[in-house]
Amino acid sequence: MNPVLVMGPILLLFVVLGFVTMAILFERKVIGWIQMRPGPNRVGPWGILQTVADVLKLLIKEDIIPSKADKPLFKLAPAIAFIPAFAVLAVIPFTESLQFSQFAVGILYYLAVSSITIIGILMGGWASNNKYALLGAMRSAAQMISYEIPLVMSVVGIILSVGSLNLVEIVEAQKQVWFIFPQFLGFAVFFIASLSELNRTPFDLPEAESELVAGYHVEYTGFRFAFFMLSEYVYVFAMASLTTVLFLGGWNAPFGLTMIPGIVWFVLKFLLIVFSLFWIRATMPRVRVDQLMEFAWKVLLPVALFNILLTAVLQEVPYLDFLYRL
Amino acid sequence: MEMNLEGVTPFEEEELKRNVLTTNLDQIKAWTRSNSMWPLSFGLACCAIEMMSTGGAHYDFDRFGVIFRASPRQADVMIVAGTVTKKMAPLLRRLYDQMPEPKWVIAMGSCATAGGPYVKSYAVVKGVDQVVPVDVYIPGCPPNPAALIYGVIKLQEKIKYEAKHGKRVFHT
Amino acid sequence: MLRTEEMLLNVGPQHPSTHGVLRLVVKIDGERIVEVEPVIGYLHRGTEKLAEDLNYTQIIPYTDRMDYLSAMTNNYALVHAVEKMMGLEIPERADYLRVIVMELNRIASHLVWMGTYLLDIGAMSPFLYAFRDREQILSLFNELCGARLTYNYMRVGGVKWDAPPGWIEKADAFVDYLLPQMDEYHGLITGNEIFVRRTKGIGIVSQELAIQYALSGANLRVSGSDWDLRKKEPYSLYDRFQFDVPVGKNGDLYDKYLCRMQEIVESLKIVKQAIDQFPEKGTIMGKVPRVLRVPEGEIYTGIESPRGELGCHIVSKGKDKPWRLKFRRPSFYNLQILPTLLVGESISNLVAILGGIDIVLGEVDC
Repeated sequence: MNPVLVMGPILLLFVVLGFVTMAILFERKVIGWIQMRPGPNRVGPWGILQTVADVLKLLIKEDIIPSKADKPLFKLAPAIAFIPAFAVLAVIPFTESLQFSQFAVGILYYLAVSSITIIGILMGGWASNNKYALLGAMRSAAQMISYEIPLVMSVVGIILSVGSLNLVEIVEAQKQVWFIFPQFLGFAVFFIASLSELNRTPFDLPEAESELVAGYHVEYTGFRFAFFMLSEYVYVFAMASLTTVLFLGGWNAPFGLTMIPGIVWFVLKFLLIVFSLFWIRATMPRVRVDQLMEFAWKVLLPVALFNILLTAVLQEVPYLDFLYRL
Repeated sequence: MEMNLEGVTPFEEEELKRNVLTTNLDQIKAWTRSNSMWPLSFGLACCAIEMMSTGGAHYDFDRFGVIFRASPRQADVMIVAGTVTKKMAPLLRRLYDQMPEPKWVIAMGSCATAGGPYVKSYAVVKGVDQVVPVDVYIPGCPPNPAALIYGVIKLQEKIKYEAKHGKRVFHT
Repeated sequence: MLRTEEMLLNVGPQHPSTHGVLRLVVKIDGERIVEVEPVIGYLHRGTEKLAEDLNYTQIIPYTDRMDYLSAMTNNYALVHAVEKMMGLEIPERADYLRVIVMELNRIASHLVWMGTYLLDIGAMSPFLYAFRDREQILSLFNELCGARLTYNYMRVGGVKWDAPPGWIEKADAFVDYLLPQMDEYHGLITGNEIFVRRTKGIGIVSQELAIQYALSGANLRVSGSDWDLRKKEPYSLYDRFQFDVPVGKNGDLYDKYLCRMQEIVESLKIVKQAIDQFPEKGTIMGKVPRVLRVPEGEIYTGIESPRGELGCHIVSKGKDKPWRLKFRRPSFYNLQILPTLLVGESISNLVAILGGIDIVLGEVDC
């Protein structure tokens, strides 16, 4: 067996966990700066060990299972929410060589597997036997299923242009022009829908603190809660990677600056997306639950469908078709 | 990991202190716990406003890794900020019971400490320590945000001290 | 038709957006509210009963702790009633100081409301910006009377402390600082599409309903009535200042927000005028007998607190202690309309409407 294929994923696991700890710190720092305060700075130099302390503390905390809870489901839910978050990373190509699976239907795999998390969330909310958790889980399920549709539809434009579902081929097709330019509508829909998929402000209704206390994980303690939190941030990693791959040209260098290695470009673009997620979180209020549904079905879906039509038509227009037929 | 040191001979205590591994593990635990204290966002009265100010930009509780959690299941510290009335006391106790171990209580302000200006009132509990065990008392009515930060740091010191010496710190 | 079941949901007493220890027993059908019953009394401390055993100066600190977001106004409610009953003359300098601190406190209170309201709606940052600006007011107060929240500043017949040298200039500088800052708030919040859609047309209070429920303050003015005791029944020096009373048109939450934001600007105007007219010299305490014996009788005086009409009703039997003291707490009256407003709304509007009323639990339960 190829040692790279064995060690690589384990290495990736640690890279992702390292990213997650840094991302949480980064989020608190960025939001802190936006709010004119320093953010965590007491644990380790520059507060760098803050998340480490947080996570370790959660791991050694007492594990409470409410007596009225559905115990098997209650225990199972964090795992079901957590595993797909890692499973989706398998198909994401980070550079030409650094990729774990050349899957022919990469996008489809990502979108399909990532929906499994909803089951975990719903299960956790139901099994907790808590009204707030139930409301949070129901909202979450409704929201994620509604936004899955515009998310998929917004990618169809790219698939039409490339003629492939393979993520590597999609990146290869962006050698000249990144898809953010010809597929701008698609990008806008994709970005908004992905914010919602990630449960981030302004779509953080499932865990809306001011309404539902903590949403679906209101009864979860210690490491089970940590699992939910980690899976959320692993999804940030995965979704930012996917956005980079689909719309920002993956590892392709802009302006012909090919002497800088592809992985650096990938990380830079990726961080830009992550930063925007945190930036939006610090700026926006939360939308209301009925407005959220309206927005998905009445705005995002028609725009995404229009984008598909536009791509199909422009493929036939001379002088413009080079952007849409790759 | 709580050690019961009653009935331990001096010889055994020396023996215990030589047990370097457990002491270190306890200290690591204390380090994580003291550096990540998430209080329950639980405001009762005037002190809650000062608690909010402490979370604000000027004092910034986030520096110490203190972020407010709305659910008692995910909180470590209960900052009792304000007057505890007889109607509220049972609920306060229930919230305390819902928090996972290890947990701590900070009594913020003179009302939570001993009833404060309302000590003669028919409706007020004379100190939250009649309901839940308190680790740190902060005087003031309401305490300055700096005083609250000092209280939190004292609690961190207490956690670390207990882990290092294996003794409980009691107030006398 | 799907069969649905109604569910009882307990919101509070420990809930991030009940602003203290209010408990709402909400009957919901899905996400729609069928019935709401507010349960109050979790912070009832018996202030009015305690006051019967205290002399008038000793009651002042208890008023601080009633509406702890605008302690200065509460101080004034009590001393104003006592002064009116005893017919005391207040030195001009003390009166100006009172107006300045009351208006600054109104600004601080509205800033807290704005921040926490936006926090309820889900925006984090305005809360921190609001508290940053409020912090400056608090340091002004800290310099004046040594406390950040519960000031115990006013006395029957004047104020306890004179303004330290340079304090008036600092207050003036603060006014100049906050006025442009208001534009920043408007830039961040007022035009935000999500905020507008969450507040416009929600929680509408008609003028008739507002008067029936005896609402006051911004909750009443938002429905179009320009009832403001500072204008209608001027007390202290308010007849000397030029200011407008902002009123709303639609009676919804968005107008409430705009009203309160405009009230901050009007308060800034008053502070500015008061600073300009501030007498250079003068005493801060009038001629007051050593033991305050209020003549036998009853009095009710109302003043405009940030939350509405704050009334003080004293029944005196000629002793140095009140025989009965009763406060008309605006939050308590404003809260009564909540069950009417909430029926039929979705649960995510609950926090928005509750937050819009601007209650302080210390005042509701007293």
